[in-house]
Amino acid sequence: MIDLVLLGDVLAGTARLGTPIAFAALGGVIAERGGLYNIGLEGQILAGALGAAAGSFATGSAMIGLGCGIICGLLSGLLLGYMSIRLRINQLVGGIALNLLLAGLTAFLSRQIFGAQAGGARVNGFSQIDIPYLSDLPVVGPSLFAQDPLFYLLIGLAIAAWFWLMKSHKGLDLRAVGENPKAADLAGVPVFRMQYLAIAVSGALAALAGAHLVLSQVYVFAEGMSAGKGFIALAAIILGRWSPIGAICAALFFGFCDAVQFKLQFTSPEIPYQLFLILPYLASLIALVVLGAKASAPASVGLPYDREHR
Amino acid sequence: MQLKSRLLAGLAALMLAGPAAADGIERAAIVMPGSISDNGWNQAGFEGLTKAGEALGFEAAFSESVHQPEQIEVLSDYARRGYDLVIGHGGEFQDAVERVAARFPETMFMVNNGLGTKANIANADFYFSQIAYLMGYVAGSMSDTGTIGIIAAQQFKFTTDTVAGYEAGAKAANPEVRVLVTWTGDWDDIAKGKEAALNQISQGADVVWPTMDSATLGSMQAVQEKGVYGIGIYRDAISEWPEILQSAILDVRGNMRSYLELAAAGKLEGALYRADMGNELAMRIGSFHPDIPLGVVDEVNKLIEAMKSGTLVVNPQ
Repeated sequence: MIDLVLLGDVLAGTARLGTPIAFAALGGVIAERGGLYNIGLEGQILAGALGAAAGSFATGSAMIGLGCGIICGLLSGLLLGYMSIRLRINQLVGGIALNLLLAGLTAFLSRQIFGAQAGGARVNGFSQIDIPYLSDLPVVGPSLFAQDPLFYLLIGLAIAAWFWLMKSHKGLDLRAVGENPKAADLAGVPVFRMQYLAIAVSGALAALAGAHLVLSQVYVFAEGMSAGKGFIALAAIILGRWSPIGAICAALFFGFCDAVQFKLQFTSPEIPYQLFLILPYLASLIALVVLGAKASAPASVGLPYDREHR
Repeated sequence: MQLKSRLLAGLAALMLAGPAAADGIERAAIVMPGSISDNGWNQAGFEGLTKAGEALGFEAAFSESVHQPEQIEVLSDYARRGYDLVIGHGGEFQDAVERVAARFPETMFMVNNGLGTKANIANADFYFSQIAYLMGYVAGSMSDTGTIGIIAAQQFKFTTDTVAGYEAGAKAANPEVRVLVTWTGDWDDIAKGKEAALNQISQGADVVWPTMDSATLGSMQAVQEKGVYGIGIYRDAISEWPEILQSAILDVRGNMRSYLELAAAGKLEGALYRADMGNELAMRIGSFHPDIPLGVVDEVNKLIEAMKSGTLVVNPQ
């Protein structure tokens, strides 16, 4: 019986800890499938978190907060797109620059918006939704079917993204841009428009990760609250082999490792806690080494496309 | 920021040829690991210095979110620019301060929660286990399940002493008590802070003491959602969270004020300034939760008197 309770706890923890990583990883997949690295996920999570907190703080509505967060993400995505597509600067450098910019900017703006309350200004958020019947199931019911609305949104978006990317004509266009933009261009695909769309959606998805932290988990904005989730998401993209579903499974796997390590600290207090803390990273390294060899990135990811260049 | 401070350092070196005035400080700077609006350790350090500067009449400067690789550069910058007192805010600055202090013998350095003194390195810290003992006593007395929890980020003197004092105090109240300890490895990861508290609560803890910085917000969110009790740190946290039983007020501002007054009078030496329950400006308990029976309140007050008189010695010191 105790094991079932433990299992339920771990599953619920997996969903809580994995959801933000999964949103960001999904965003990264969309961008990389379109041929653009999005290293700015970490900063975009912060932008989404601040937007969500500020919107909800100003209006008292979690939905408006969510909207503000998504807009912040779209804008930060378009900025990265402008740097990568129009200015054709190195996409890794552009992403790092965006992270630094947004880390500082969100810290500054949060002090302007929340003033002396910064770090402690409570905002309205979403409460958990129990899905009828399913939430009464043993073990998985309370852990997976009594989550916040953004968790269900994640599942919906993952399936929608997979369908769009793999089964729709536009999705094929985007994948063609990521593999060979020249050929896509010759075939009449609007390469730059597709890339701007991909990077903007990517930013919005990363922003949803931040909105989840604020509106579903802690109901406050705190500086640096992304705490490296945007970088773990980059690993989840590779581990998930550039598939929307795969990336989300990888993100939830990282969440699972984190959830398990909190349990292991109780059951094995004699083992140094640092060993448990590295568990998610160790697991991802091993997984990348084992699976990474076979994984193949979109062929043109990271290479700026120049129509004039042959 | 680095470039700008280097330019400023050059200008300052041109303007300030000689060493600083011998008695009293004119300019002091604090270098902090995190954000000045974290509602915790860093905010306290920032306010501690700036408010003392206004009251005691010296110029105060600060650098926030300075990480390990930049520590030496930032500390040296202030020393080069002629600051009389340069404060490293946290034990993690000890190594960097020792290296910089050797190159600037005219400058006084202070490490808050430091780990060693020299001729021009002073330390200021708290008798952590003493106040943690009181928190443990309150938690142990108020737990119905007989299980309480404490959450900390990383293991070093502050956290290990706090955990040890908390356990000892809880056992003094209830010898059968079970104390859960969780290490999150991160001071600011709110999601992990919440997850750690949820885990302790699901293990039966009905009093949880989070001792991180921003991540404490996440733990307190879990405490509130699950309807258990929390313990506060740094300030009288019951004003923000009604679930707080009692708070360990480690008043970094008060502790800094004590030594900055000495510094302003030119009396700060390379020594350890440790605040204990006898120094109420720096270390004291907060308000009692209304649920706490009067008997427990009396016991806690007796323990404090015993600590002040020296009849109760809490280890590690």
